[in-house]
This record gives sequence, structure tokens and C-alpha cells, in this order.
Amino acid sequence: MAPIAIDAQALLQSTYSILPEILVVATALFVLFVDLILPEENKRVLCGVSIIGVALSLFAVFSMGPARISGFSGAVVHDGLGAFFEIVILSACALTLLMATGYSEWEGTHKGEFYSLLLLSTSGMMFMAKGTDLMTVFLGLETLSIPIYVLVGFHRNRMSSIEGALKYFLLGAFASGFLLYGIALIYAVSGTTKIPQLAAMLLDASLAGNPMFLAGAGLLLVGLAFKVSLVPFHMWTPDAYEGAPTLVTAFMSAAVKAAAFAALIRFLLLALPGMQPAMGKILWILAVLTMTVGNLSALRQDNVKRMLAYSSIAHAGYILVGMVSGDVLGGQASLFYLLVYAFMNIGAFGVVMLIAQKEDEGYDIGNFAGIGFRYPVLGALLTLFLVSLGGIPPTAGFIGKFYLFSAAVKNGYIGLAVIGVLNSAVSIYYYLRLVVYMYMMPAGAEAPAPRPPRVAFSLALCASAAVVLVLGILPRSVLEFAERSVLSLLM
Amino acid sequence: MTGPADIIFYLLAAMTVGAAILVAILPNIVYSAIALLFSFAGVAGLYVYLSADFLAATQVLIYVGGILILILFAVFLSNRISDVKISNPSRFHWQAAFICLGLFGILSYTAVSTAFPVKAVLSYQPTTSEIGELLMTRYLLPFEVASVLLLAALIGAAMLSRPDGGRGRPAEMEEPKR
Repeated sequence: MAPIAIDAQALLQSTYSILPEILVVATALFVLFVDLILPEENKRVLCGVSIIGVALSLFAVFSMGPARISGFSGAVVHDGLGAFFEIVILSACALTLLMATGYSEWEGTHKGEFYSLLLLSTSGMMFMAKGTDLMTVFLGLETLSIPIYVLVGFHRNRMSSIEGALKYFLLGAFASGFLLYGIALIYAVSGTTKIPQLAAMLLDASLAGNPMFLAGAGLLLVGLAFKVSLVPFHMWTPDAYEGAPTLVTAFMSAAVKAAAFAALIRFLLLALPGMQPAMGKILWILAVLTMTVGNLSALRQDNVKRMLAYSSIAHAGYILVGMVSGDVLGGQASLFYLLVYAFMNIGAFGVVMLIAQKEDEGYDIGNFAGIGFRYPVLGALLTLFLVSLGGIPPTAGFIGKFYLFSAAVKNGYIGLAVIGVLNSAVSIYYYLRLVVYMYMMPAGAEAPAPRPPRVAFSLALCASAAVVLVLGILPRSVLEFAERSVLSLLM
Repeated sequence: MTGPADIIFYLLAAMTVGAAILVAILPNIVYSAIALLFSFAGVAGLYVYLSADFLAATQVLIYVGGILILILFAVFLSNRISDVKISNPSRFHWQAAFICLGLFGILSYTAVSTAFPVKAVLSYQPTTSEIGELLMTRYLLPFEVASVLLLAALIGAAMLSRPDGGRGRPAEMEEPKR
């Protein structure tokens, strides 16, 4: 084989194409070093350093613009879709870090490892969102997952935290095996792991109908479905979400989901036309199962964290509806919904975190009784986030669901849209149940006062609330951005 | 077309698969670990058979020499793990058999029905330098991301295993009830 020359120019461009990721990884390393020299009582500086790093990376994404920059012989590409998901993931990370200023103080997670693991996981997510090679996607997925396993078990003296981490780790390792096996089978039959090349080869029917390719694509789907917790692969979600420190739960529910969906969207939007109708049917069934099982299980939960965990499963189902549609409109709706979901879910977890005070027993729904009138701001914020999660106007959650279901109708999936709307009606019951507890139940005798939030924490909550409201009223510019992102992928 | 090379292949394959089955069904985890050794060695043999010399060497170095020793150490350091009852119990036999046989059926069907591009002549050339060059050029990014991944795993392992706060105090957790 002839040697492959990689000249300085190409290397420079490749490095530029992953500039945001480099900034995040560098911040993670810097945090580790600073951790060594900081005295024990000044550890919150680490949080500030991390926030600055994430802000720099976000700035880099914005200044690079939507131009298509391909790097490392097609292993990674910075395009509109990658930029969109980088913004979602970095915003989720920034919100989490802002909330960490308070949460880490209460729960003792002001540690160098906590922040560097959070940042390393973020970098893995970004690689996953930008990867155009299945190998990059797999490595990004692992770089995302391993820090998350550790972060779930960060509270080592809480049994539920360790239990959640172990369940997540064992099932996650298994799912990674499925994903890798799927990639191997696809490579065996097509000779490439590059997603665009695969998509081009799929136009030839002999590959699309090849049983080994179908088995590979199926295993790949299983691996990614596990990470976004689609229904037959969702068993770990309630335990891991309940056991994890709430801050990590918020981060997982928004950012991990966005990253795994980014890879799924890139693969499906490109490859789906060649794999219809079989793949469309599978996705249809998965979407219906995920929405229905998630919502019906959430109905019976008395633990707010567990309820939000099941609701996050249901939301993965809604987002999958956009994938079933499989066209630009569906992709655009999924992208928009993932962005909105990140803000409203992290916001909801943030308020819940303030009210609950104690991990485990603090999240019982009884603790939320009477909060609404005693603490009007917290009550109003949580109500806003829950209303948005339920999909009631004038919030961004409504606009997102509206676009998802109208994309389904436009592509002839009327049954799916009807099931989706019925499901959101069911979900309103359990979201509003919490609101009813807050406003209509008398507070218990020794109801604890919520923690006073720090400035940064309030900033995160206000930013989330602002995004939920503004995108609920003026969604146009972001919707257009999402559309451009999807188009940049298809061109 | 049964030459001595084919017989060696079938022996290697039988050793790999047979040992893997033993890993799953043996009740004592120490025996399972030893069976795993043979499975790993069989895979290394298959790599040699496919003229993948570098892969075969790393398979022996990392899996046989590293991972397996680690597993054995973990087993020996764990309390009462050699007790058959808690060592390697298996449950849900029928459900597992059903799922695994289904998967086996699908995968063997795909393997049989696919026409693989077969190389006419296998050239037994060293592959190490080629792999090294590819890792530094075409696969530079996966190579570098893997280092980030390993760093994350290292931090995570240190974080989970060391005493709370790193001050020599063991983590306070209730003893699991037996």
C-alpha cells in the first residue's frame, strides 16, 4: 500500500475542524492540574474554570459558523448538524455547571474529578455529534459513557447511587458490544465505516437487502437505542436516573440524549431512503412503544426524580416520531425538540433540586405540597417547565410537539401522530399532578424550606425559563437554523 | 478442499467456541477464567491464521497476558468468591436459551447467505508498520480520541476505588447483608 501523505495544511484544517472539542478536553486537563494546587476550601474555582472553558468552546462553535469543514480524512466533519448539536450539548453542559455552583456545595461534589469527568464526557458527545465515521461515533459514545458511569456512582456512600451506576455500567457495556458488532458486520459487507459512503452504497438495492447489512444496521440501532433509552432497551433508565446525583441526572437526560440522537439522525437521515420500508416500520413501532410505555409508567410514580426519568423515556419517543417521518421537516422538528428539551428538562431538575434538599427521600411528591404559595418564584418556574414538558402553549414544548406531529401527518403517518397526541394528553396528567401538589395541597407540619439558590444557579434557571418562553412565542429563527442544519447534512 | 490448514482452522475455531461455552456454563468462576484463557488463545490463533501478526501479538499481550491476569487477581482478592453458590450463578436458563438461539439463527443465516469478497491468495506479510502508519495518518482522530477515553477511564477508576476524599478514610457504606 502506498503511504498516505498528510501534509501540514490538511493537519491544520483537521485540527481547526475539532477546535471546540480541543478546547473542552484542554479545560478538563487544566481542571485536573488546578485541582492539585488548590486548597480544599477553594475548590469552587474549578467550577468557574470549567464554565469559562465551555463558554470559550461555545464561542468557537459560533465563530466557526455553519461552513462545512471536513477533517482527518473524513473521520469528522464540522457542518450545520454538528454545530447545532454542539450548541445543544455545550448549553446543557454550561447550565449544569452553573447549577453545580450550588449543588456541589450541598452534596460535596466540588472535586476536580467531577468537573473533568463532566467535561471529558461533553467532549465525547461532541465527537459523536460530528463523527461521519462509525469508528468516531463509537469512540465518542464510549468517551461519553465511561465518565457518565462514574458520575452516576459519584455518591459512593448512597446505595441507590452505586446501584444505578452498576446497572447502567453493565447494561451499557453490553449495548456498546452490540453497537460494535453492528459496525463490524456493516464493515464486513460494505468495506467502509464512513456514513456518507455507506449512504451512497445503499442506493444500490443489493446492499440494502443484504441480510448481513440488515443485521448490522439492527445491532447498530440497538446500541444507539440503549443510549437514548427507547423502550425495549430502557430498563436502566429509572434506576440510573434516580440513583445519580440530581445534577448528573439533569445532564444525562439532556446531553446524552442529544448526542446519541445526533448520531442516530446523521445515520438515519442519510441511510433511511435506501432502507425503507423495513426501517421505517421498525422505527414506527419503537416510537409508539417508547411513548406509551414511558408515559404509562410515569403515571404511577410518587418519586419526582423517577417520574421525570420515565417522562424522559417518553420524550425520546416523541423525538423518534420526527425520525419516522424521515424528511427535512421531521429532522428539523427533532432538532428543535432536542434543543428545547435540554433547556426545559434541566430547568425542571434544577427547581426540583432546590426544593428536594436531600437525595433519595427528598424527592417524594409529598415534599412538594404547598410550595407554590410559600415560594411563588420557585413554584412558577417549576410550573412553567412542567407545562412545557406537557406541551401546552405558549411554551416551546408545545411548538416542538406541534412540528413533530405535523411532520408525521404530512408524511402520511396519521396514526402515529394520533398516538403521539393521545400520549401527550396522558402525560399532562402526571405533570399537572405535581402542580396540583404545589398549589392545592397544604404543606406538611415540618415542611423544609428550599435551599436559597446562588446567583449562578438562579442565572441558569432564568436562562432556561427565558429560552422556554421565547422559543414558545418566537420560534422562527431557531426553526430556520434547525432546517439549515438538516439541509447541510443532506447536501 | 480439506488440507492441513483447514484442519488447523477448525481446531482453532472449536477451541475458541468450546472454551467460550465453558466460560458461560461452568459454576466456579476460577474455572471460567481458565476457560477464558483458552478462548482468548484460540482467537489469537485465528488472527495468525489470517496473517494478522500484529493483532495476534496484541491479543496475547493484552487479553491473555493482561486482562486475564487482572480477572484472576480480582477473583482471588474477592472474599469467598470461590464458593460455588455465590461465585457464578446462572438464572433464567430457558429465556436466555431462547434469545441466544434466535440470535444465533439470525447471525448464522446472514453469515451463510452473504457472499464475502474472498482473497485468492493470502500473502503472509508483516502488517505492523502499515497499521502504525494508518494510525498516524488516516485514523489519527480515533487514535487520539481513544487516548481521551483512556484518560477518562483512568480518572474514573481512581475516583471510584480510592477512599473518600483521598484522605485514607475508607468509604462509609453499609455492609451488604448476606
